[in-house]
Amino acid sequence: MERAKWIKGLGFMSVVLAGTMLTACGDDGNNDTNGAANENNTEGNETDNDGAQNEDQEEVTVRLTGWQSSPTEQRYFEETIDAFEEKYPHINVEVDTIADQYMDVLRTRLIGGEAADVFFLDAFEAPGLIEAGVLESLDGYITDEFDVDDFEEPLIDAFRRDDQLWGLPKDTSTLALFYNKDHFEEAGIEAPPETWEEMEEIAETLTVDNRYGFGIVTDMARLYSIGESRGGEMVVDNRANFTDPAVIDALQPIIDMRNEKEIGASPADVGAEWGGDMFGTERASMIIEGNWMIEFMEDAFPDVNYGVVEIPTIEEEKQTMAYTVSYSMNGESEVKEEAWQLIEFLTGKEGMEIWTASGLALPSRQSVAEMMDYADDAIYEPFIEGASYATVWADDTNLPIINSNFENQFSSAFLGDQTLEEAMEEAERVANNEIQD
Amino acid sequence: MAKWKLSKSQLRDAGQGYLFMSPTIFTILVFLIGPILFALFLAFNNVNLLGQTSFEFVWFDNFTRMASDERALIALQNTAFYVVIVVPTQTILALVLAASLNAGMKGEKWFRVIYFIPTLTSSAVLVMIFMWMYRPDGLINTILSSVGLPTYNWMNDPSVALISIMIMNIWATAPMFMVIYLAALQGISDSLYEASELDGASAIQKFWYVTVPMLRPVTAFVVIIGVIGTFQLFDQSYMFSGGSGGPNNSTLTVVLLIYQYAFSNNQMGYAAALAVSLALIILVATFIQRKLQKEETH
Repeated sequence: MERAKWIKGLGFMSVVLAGTMLTACGDDGNNDTNGAANENNTEGNETDNDGAQNEDQEEVTVRLTGWQSSPTEQRYFEETIDAFEEKYPHINVEVDTIADQYMDVLRTRLIGGEAADVFFLDAFEAPGLIEAGVLESLDGYITDEFDVDDFEEPLIDAFRRDDQLWGLPKDTSTLALFYNKDHFEEAGIEAPPETWEEMEEIAETLTVDNRYGFGIVTDMARLYSIGESRGGEMVVDNRANFTDPAVIDALQPIIDMRNEKEIGASPADVGAEWGGDMFGTERASMIIEGNWMIEFMEDAFPDVNYGVVEIPTIEEEKQTMAYTVSYSMNGESEVKEEAWQLIEFLTGKEGMEIWTASGLALPSRQSVAEMMDYADDAIYEPFIEGASYATVWADDTNLPIINSNFENQFSSAFLGDQTLEEAMEEAERVANNEIQD
Repeated sequence: MAKWKLSKSQLRDAGQGYLFMSPTIFTILVFLIGPILFALFLAFNNVNLLGQTSFEFVWFDNFTRMASDERALIALQNTAFYVVIVVPTQTILALVLAASLNAGMKGEKWFRVIYFIPTLTSSAVLVMIFMWMYRPDGLINTILSSVGLPTYNWMNDPSVALISIMIMNIWATAPMFMVIYLAALQGISDSLYEASELDGASAIQKFWYVTVPMLRPVTAFVVIIGVIGTFQLFDQSYMFSGGSGGPNNSTLTVVLLIYQYAFSNNQMGYAAALAVSLALIILVATFIQRKLQKEETH
């Protein structure tokens, strides 16, 4: 309640301030990096100033649900929302964060008719909700000005179904290889690996007593593109297809790295919470992680000297995963017009630029990516490069079931309790049994 | 027939009675009877609550589906294994603790308080602390390796994970039952002990032939509550596995499975059927237990 009031107050103040600021705005844009954003802001202020003069436009509250993984993320998110409220003073955005089990909570709220007007929706879970018919199709709202073609095609396609658009990707993240420069130097290795074979060799050299050469994250979300790197397909016709020999061939090296060659381990093996923890505490010299690591390393392990390159090639093919989350609208929303204005702003060029300036996620719009100019940044470049050939972590309605069964069985093969073939057979059988079509 | 006819004053009395009871009756109907009936209704339907709400009556389909549902069988196995190990262990441990704290040691009040602390801790906090101690480089492994015992991957090894939860739970719930036993111990008449002493009983014999039989009704209570509580294991395994029941379904319990079907897979009807089955299983287990208890006393 306190916070809501505070935001309201802020919204009110920005209306009052908008007029006075307008005169000073000419020389206000002194922040070089955000110059473009400031310009946009000025335009925004102009239009809403007209609105404000209409007197007492009725205040509307739009509820927004999402998750926040760090205080930094929270801060940038609030900044983005503040920018929106400044532009649309009559709209009050009520943000509410779901800390854990996001989809379970969201689904329950949708059933109870208590869900927010706008919410985050992972591409991985989107088909299920679209199929259930609880989302608002966004096609009717999109204007030419919004420039929907600007979005990266594979990302926006994850939210398209039955020729309709059910969400707009707010950002994206891809995976790349993080390597510890100091470890490389100690071992006399000059360049990071380019092929998977090279990487295994290096991992072997780097594996010492309390440290593994390679940290392995065993989620299907991470292994999907590796599993399909040798021509197999893990999901066919909305059903699990793990027993394809090409899939097993592609996944076997991951298991062997731990059990045969003993050059890799999972974060859990060494008692780390997740990959970032394992890499940051120097219990792995290399690990495949996403761009969210950059911020994390800076915060938690500023002394670790690391580099980032694209994931080593398998069969001379580059591969990586891309994750995306949309803003989608509740079909039951009572303030659809304003909800759309919020989505339009957040996924529009202006809002996306403010948000992705955090570096926590990459823009899903080409124009914003160009504007951000990552190409010169050695740390960000591999992620941007990866976006062009990444497999998007999304499929169809049954992917969550397929995913949980894969993880359950793969982890036991990974621990050496059964062979990969057995595990994949079991996972496929149980998953397809659970799928009720 | 005439017997059933009520006079005016009787009717008024009855009416008054029900009027006074009405708040309670209303509460029970809305929060107890209603949900139970609704759960039963759900169990026989194919339910979709998300989007277009629909109920489709499917007779016993939800129940027959369980037989072919691998994960349901694994969950039941895990839960049964858990019950079989935890209930006797925590009961015996509670009894031994209570007896030793009732023996008249110095400072036993303090020990009672200290032993009781785990029960006062919220289970979520407890799980967090244990998960931290269970880490591969955590406290427990450090102690084990320092005395030359083998170490385990407590949380991620499928063959150990459920046992880790058992240890944690026994540690947390035994003291609660200990308190119940303590109360009952105070009620055993000293004359019985005196009489057995006169007959030349040793301390162990007194425990075995006086204390244990005298505590039988309390033991029945402790076991029944224990069985019900352990069959409903959810929060610990949920937190331990992050809701998945992994690794390799080793911490999947029946209630966790019900949760997954109801809230993650949106199959409320099947989840309700599982819940009804679990209730029946607990009921049967309790009946068997009571029956055995009765036979023993006769």
